[in-house]
Amino acid sequence: MNSPSQNASAHNSISGVAAGDVSSPAETTLRLIAKLPAPEGIEDRVMAGVKAAPRGARVLHWPEVLQPAGGWMRGAAAAAIVFVVAGGGWGIYTHVQPTQPARVIALPPRAGGAGGFSSAGAMRTPQTLNGPVVGQPTTAKDGTAQPVEVKPVKKATAPMKHGRLRAVARGSASGQPGVSAVK
Amino acid sequence: MSTSQAIYAGWMEIPNSAVDELARTQAEEATLAALVSQYSGTLYRVAYSVLRNPSDAEDAVQEAFLRVLRHRDTLDEVRDQRVWLIRIVWNIVLDRKRRAKTRPETDDVAELARVLPCGGLSAEQIASAAQHHAHVLSCVGKLPAKEREVLHLSAFEELTGVEIAQVLGITESSVRSRLFRARNLMADLLNHSRSLR
Repeated sequence: MNSPSQNASAHNSISGVAAGDVSSPAETTLRLIAKLPAPEGIEDRVMAGVKAAPRGARVLHWPEVLQPAGGWMRGAAAAAIVFVVAGGGWGIYTHVQPTQPARVIALPPRAGGAGGFSSAGAMRTPQTLNGPVVGQPTTAKDGTAQPVEVKPVKKATAPMKHGRLRAVARGSASGQPGVSAVK
Repeated sequence: MSTSQAIYAGWMEIPNSAVDELARTQAEEATLAALVSQYSGTLYRVAYSVLRNPSDAEDAVQEAFLRVLRHRDTLDEVRDQRVWLIRIVWNIVLDRKRRAKTRPETDDVAELARVLPCGGLSAEQIASAAQHHAHVLSCVGKLPAKEREVLHLSAFEELTGVEIAQVLGITESSVRSRLFRARNLMADLLNHSRSLR
């Protein structure tokens, strides 16, 4: 085992340049570790590993026949690419019509009524009036007219004209079939 | 048809640039082989001083040369190849050490006690030396990272202060001040542990 003082005098490293506390046990231990020899055959193993590593991709050159001196094929290929791109763009421009802007703005349906029930699509139909049905005037055997029995109106929710009622009342009072025209 | 068949058939020719590239590749491989044979031992020792595991250290060396291979185009611009390589392997080692933080330190110390030279010592002396080294290394592990790194590199006799500064990317005066601080801290730690006993 080398002593630290021997190590300090033997080399030119920074450990020898520093102050007189070179002989610290830490540096002795670290120096021992630093002096451990490399294992046998490390060069061969490292070189084999480096050779086995994948290299970068190599580019195959064009044959001389297809590689003219002026390089006009590159220009032609570039021109062809530009032509195809421009032609495609022109085709799209000529075939696609510009869309008309929408005139009606579709509003989204309102979610729910404003605080009420919906009609569920039902339509209101007004109640029809069933007018009084008047039978045919019957003639008695003695030639005198019999009073016609007036049936009462079943549903009379809607207001009726006063004239009609007056005529019916008049007819019933006189005993004549004056209301038959009301049918 | 394979590439060689196509070449023989005559419709694919090997241009002069390909021949030049082949020669360039061979030259690069020769340079790399020279670097490996010259510096792999040094790089291994640097890696082992931090990782304290032979297989990990060898892997780090191999990875360092793979990085060299990847940046072989810039190899001519390197002034000091030895310091450059040590810097590469140092970064790899620190990265690996940071990632393998979960590994118990006691395994490394036991391995180290087995490996360290102890010729002419009795079994008791070997055991006590191993215990001492383990204690010192545990104290080194308690140092701040900056001071610990300088202390590790200063143990390598072949590295000067300027070279340590180049490896760590700091100035030489910073190396000196860090080393001074590391030594003081180590003395405090060792004295403290001695007083506890």
